[in-house]
Amino acid sequence: MIPEKLIVEQGVSAGDSWVTVKPGDIREALSALKSDGHRLMVFLTCVDHLADASRQWPARYELVYQLRNLETREQTRVRAFVDGDPPHIDSVQDMFPPANWDERETYDLFGVVFNDHPDLTRILMPDDWVGHPLRRDYPVGGEVVEFSQEHESWQTAPEKA
Amino acid sequence: MSTPPGITIEKTGEQGAFGGELLTVNFGPHHPSTHGVLRLIVDLDGEQIRRIKPVIGYLHTGIEKQMEALRWQQGVVVTDRHDYLSPPINNLAYALAVEKLMGVEAPPRAQALRVIMSELTRLSSHLVWLGTSGIELGAMSMLMYCFRERDTILDMNEEISGFRMHTSYIRPGGVMADATPRFLEMLDTFVRAMPKNIDEYEDLLTMNPIFRSRLIGIGRLSPEDAKVLGATGPMIRGSGIAWDLRKAIPYSGYEKYDFEVATSNDCDCYGRYLVRIKEMREAVKILRQALDTLPDGPVNVDDRKMLPPPREELETSMEAVIHHFKLFTEGYSVPPGDVYVAVESGRGENGCYIVSDGTHKPRRVKFRSASFVNLQALERMALNHMVADMIAIIGTADTVLGDVDR
Repeated sequence: MIPEKLIVEQGVSAGDSWVTVKPGDIREALSALKSDGHRLMVFLTCVDHLADASRQWPARYELVYQLRNLETREQTRVRAFVDGDPPHIDSVQDMFPPANWDERETYDLFGVVFNDHPDLTRILMPDDWVGHPLRRDYPVGGEVVEFSQEHESWQTAPEKA
Repeated sequence: MSTPPGITIEKTGEQGAFGGELLTVNFGPHHPSTHGVLRLIVDLDGEQIRRIKPVIGYLHTGIEKQMEALRWQQGVVVTDRHDYLSPPINNLAYALAVEKLMGVEAPPRAQALRVIMSELTRLSSHLVWLGTSGIELGAMSMLMYCFRERDTILDMNEEISGFRMHTSYIRPGGVMADATPRFLEMLDTFVRAMPKNIDEYEDLLTMNPIFRSRLIGIGRLSPEDAKVLGATGPMIRGSGIAWDLRKAIPYSGYEKYDFEVATSNDCDCYGRYLVRIKEMREAVKILRQALDTLPDGPVNVDDRKMLPPPREELETSMEAVIHHFKLFTEGYSVPPGDVYVAVESGRGENGCYIVSDGTHKPRRVKFRSASFVNLQALERMALNHMVADMIAIIGTADTVLGDVDR
């Protein structure tokens, strides 16, 4: 279990139990869960709460870690809220190897920087891409689609398109 | 020396164990045996693999971003397309997640139809795997045998949903339409014929000396490594761990069916092959039970705020017209919160994590894809093997690049 002093908030959402910790405590909280038997990191991702009116959010970016105990089939979701440009949080890929690519993906699509990650590079988008597509202020269709009609006109007269 | 297209070779300057220099070889992304567009940068010592760096993203289509721009009921169409070999299973993960957040449950007949479609998809996905892996490992006729049965499954998809591949059949609240009598007939014929067909595949491959020598002892993944690396599906079961979400965390009524979790203690490529063959037999078993116990009743939840009213009602009821209009202009909203639901696809744990902010569009949809995680185990499996063995290892890992890149 996560030590009581690390827990900021906890609850149950649609049957899934979750715990919020401070971003600085994320490694301590996850290693406590790991020694408790939650050895599989199912996924790690980020949610961008820009202009989300459903409640008061502590920060714009919410990092979500879903852990599972393969023996008891128990699942726990750990959240940490981070802010800043770019937001920073400690990497956990040395504790949970599957987190390696998940952290690269989160960096690529949200621009969250994972401290001490050995190879924090873009994984899905091209290496020279500008921007982080899954941020809420990145528009859908903001990029001209290659080989489309718009792309053709953009190629011939980019200043008019 | 001329190299085949898709492969470039570079010297690293590092000294190898056999007196030569390490070579960096680029493999893919257009190489036919990479199952799509996987690119591998491999450091070779002679013919032995010293390092592998998978480069992915060539099939990234921004599915998660598109989901945020679509209404809840429109998103189903996009879920079809991430793991393009098992669309109904992707639909199921998304539908179950939305239903769980809304607190509704699909009626029994819809649940049974979902199981039928999931198992048919598992069969068709394993058939594609068996056929293509067969070709890569020298069994050229496998593809013909496998696609013969796969085509029957696609015919059934067409009969029940109107589409052969991207069915969008399973939707939040139920399924698109009830099964037609013809579909049930086709399914019955198929279930009767399938065990014999699987025997045929086994006759061709299981004791085939070439096939065995290319798989046995290749790509070992110890049970401990499989757990640590987060492998799921046939990858972890091929290492002797009986982890199957259909048994471990049952969904959609899987607890009612009697089937075994296929495992193999071989921990190598051959073990994963045996697991998939056994899984196909178990899928046929589940299909038989589901068909025999298919309950009667509606196939959609009776909730006008979530699903449109029947066509007949629109002509007589003003309320039905209003509901219809609201659903097709604004859509329904899902209460704020987040939920993670995982289902067992042909490749492993196919999960859907959705976050709602209470509006009619999702705030965030994340697909936890099995291939993305399983591909990370590639380096552990392929190290110190020959280049030719890498084909067998990629083949039996059965990654779908659409699922990896989403």
